[in-house]
Order: sequence, then C-alpha cells, then structure tokens
Amino acid sequence: MIGLAGRIVRLYPRAWRERYEEEFVAMLEQGPMSIKDLFDVALGAVDAWLRPQIVCEGRLVMVARMRASVLAVLWAWVGLVVGGVGFRKMKEYDDFVRAAQDSVLVGVAFDTVVVGALVALAAVTVGCASVAFAALRKALAERRKDVPLLLCMPFVFGVGFVGYVLLLTKIIYPALGRVAVHDTVNVALFLSLVGAFLFAALASAGTLTAAVGRAEVGGRTLRFALYPAAVAAAAMVVVLVATAVWGVSLLAQAPELFKGDEGILASPTYAIWLVIVAVMAVSTVVAVAAAVRGLRARNVGHVPPRH
Amino acid sequence: MGDEDLGLGRFSDPALFVLMSLAGGEKHGYAMIEDIEKTCGARPGPGTLYGAIARLERRGLVEPLASEERRRPYRLTAAGASALEGRLRELEGLAHAGLGRLATA
Repeated sequence: MIGLAGRIVRLYPRAWRERYEEEFVAMLEQGPMSIKDLFDVALGAVDAWLRPQIVCEGRLVMVARMRASVLAVLWAWVGLVVGGVGFRKMKEYDDFVRAAQDSVLVGVAFDTVVVGALVALAAVTVGCASVAFAALRKALAERRKDVPLLLCMPFVFGVGFVGYVLLLTKIIYPALGRVAVHDTVNVALFLSLVGAFLFAALASAGTLTAAVGRAEVGGRTLRFALYPAAVAAAAMVVVLVATAVWGVSLLAQAPELFKGDEGILASPTYAIWLVIVAVMAVSTVVAVAAAVRGLRARNVGHVPPRH
Repeated sequence: MGDEDLGLGRFSDPALFVLMSLAGGEKHGYAMIEDIEKTCGARPGPGTLYGAIARLERRGLVEPLASEERRRPYRLTAAGASALEGRLRELEGLAHAGLGRLATA
C-alpha cells in the first residue's frame, strides 16, 4: 500500500514534489496506510494541480531569501574592504611598521588582519564567480544581453579606477605623496581617490546585484554560494577582532603613537582606528546575520537528490 | 481566521487542527496526524494534512524547520498563534451562544 502511495506521489506537480516529496514519503513510511489514506493522497495530488501557487510561492520565498543573503554578504564585504583599505593606508606609515616589529602582538594582529582579508577575498570571489557564471549561462540560454553587460561592469569600474590612479599619479600630479599632508591639493586629490574607489566598489556590487536579480539565479547555485558566503562572514569576524586587538595592543605598546596624529591625512590615530573598527563591525554584523539567515533558508528549502 | 480570509476551503478544519497541534510544540507530519487524532478525534489523511500545511506555510502561519532524517518538523509562527487564538475565540463564542440557547430551549 505504501509503495502504491509512493507511486501516486509522482502524480503531484513537480514544484510540489521538489518541496514536499521527501518529507511526505517519509511520513507515509512511518505508519500503516488504509485505502482511505490512498484516496486522500490522490485527492491531494488533484488539489496540488488545481492550486499550484500554494507551493511555488513558498519555494520562491526561500530562493529569494538565499539570494538576498548572498548579496548582503557581498555588500557587507565591500564595507569591510573600505574599512580595510583605510587600515592598510594608515598602517603603511613607518611608525606603525616599527611598532609591529617591536611588539609581537601588534605584528601578529596585523598579519591576522591580512590573512583574514585574503580568506574573505577568496571566499567572496568563489561565491560571486559561481553566481555570476550561473547568471551568465542562464542569460546566454535566453539570448539576453543585459545580464552579460551588467556582469562586465565590475571589470570596467576596476580598470577605470586603476586608470584614474595612474593618470593622477603619473601624469596629472606626479608630485602627489611628496607634498605636505595638509596641502589643499594633496587633500583634494586624496579625497578624489577615495571617492573614485568608493564609486568603483559600490557600482561593482550594484551591477552584480542587478545581474543576479535579473537573471533569477536558481536555488541550487545559491545553495552552493551560501557556503563561501558563510566562510567570508567568518573571515570578516577574524579581521574585525584582529583590527580591534591591533589598536588595543598598539595603545599598550606605543601609547604616544596611538594618541598622536598618525592617522590618514595626519588625523588622530585613535579616531581613524575607531572609525575603521566601526565600519568593519557594522559590515561584519550584516554579513554574519545574512549568512545565518541564508543558511537557515538553505537548510529548510533543501531537497536531497533522489537515488 | 475565517475561511474567506485564508481561502482554505475544505482545508479549513485540518488547518485549524494543524495549528492546534503545533501550538503544543514543533512536530513533523506523522506526529501531527497522531496528535490531531488524539486531541480532536479526527485523523486527517496524508494528502489533506499536507494540503493544509502548504496553505498555512504560504500564509506564514507555520514554518518548516531543518529536516531530521527526511522528516521535516514544523512550528507555529507568531502570526499562526494569533490566528489560532482568534479562531478559537470565535468558536468559543459560538459554543457559548449555542449552549445558551439549548439551556433555554
């Protein structure tokens, strides 16, 4: 009787089976089946065909939730990169290099930031590449041009930013970096570089988001992408903690340096450090929350392959 | 939780039973059937049960949890608890009115 019921389950619409078949069959196998139950299963199939939207909507919600989670981790990572670039810029001054050499903790904290950032970069690259590839494949199959165009834009923005940096430092103002820190031209050009970087980063994430949304990347790809997204979120936690430890250990090791004006554009070191930690903290909280939410949706919506 | 609001049709009663069953804690399908039979005196068929679950899930009144060895437990959401309470209050009022009339008949 159960075997017959299992066959009747195949009469249900595909969307219903993808969502419920596994657990439904497991339920049927748990207890005895009567002829009445058999008819009830058949009636359920009729009902599922008559009202297919009941299942499809629930499934779409899961896919949308996973997509939103993957993209939220991407945006959060962009936030971490912005904070991380600020940290790297501050850290390149000689005084900080010496502090890292003098204190093991300061040095290890900085190395941990670098390793964590590289792991996050690798994870985001894997996740984005898988989603972008799926979006591209779907768009090509549908002969759409908008999605491939959008996927090209991050490269265009990246090349544009590098080109702007080269143009500024090699042709327009080669003396940049050798003039006084608070020189108006120096400040203006530095801020223009920051603006160009922010634009390139945000526009790249924006076009990738638009491409993934338009291509309607499927649940299978998103389920995979959630793993690197979770790794990226974990790496962001490491980067945040290491950055915080770096500042605290610097305060203990070289308080005059921490309380001095060695920040970006000779601003107070502690203030810049606090801003960087705050930006990283917000980004990390968003990433972790998104990864957890996505993994929950992944586990709930997961349908194991049939054997 | 009127039928018209939820459009549950013939799944109205099973949906109410599922909500009542989950009000006692998270359960998977078979545990729901047994619990409903025990507490409501009616045993829903497998197709009817999952028809009700799908509708309740779509309306956000119940939510699935991670599956345990192919069996997937469900739990009541806050909206589900509120809808259940509203429906039970309606039934309570109906029962009170009906019993009152019988007493005076």
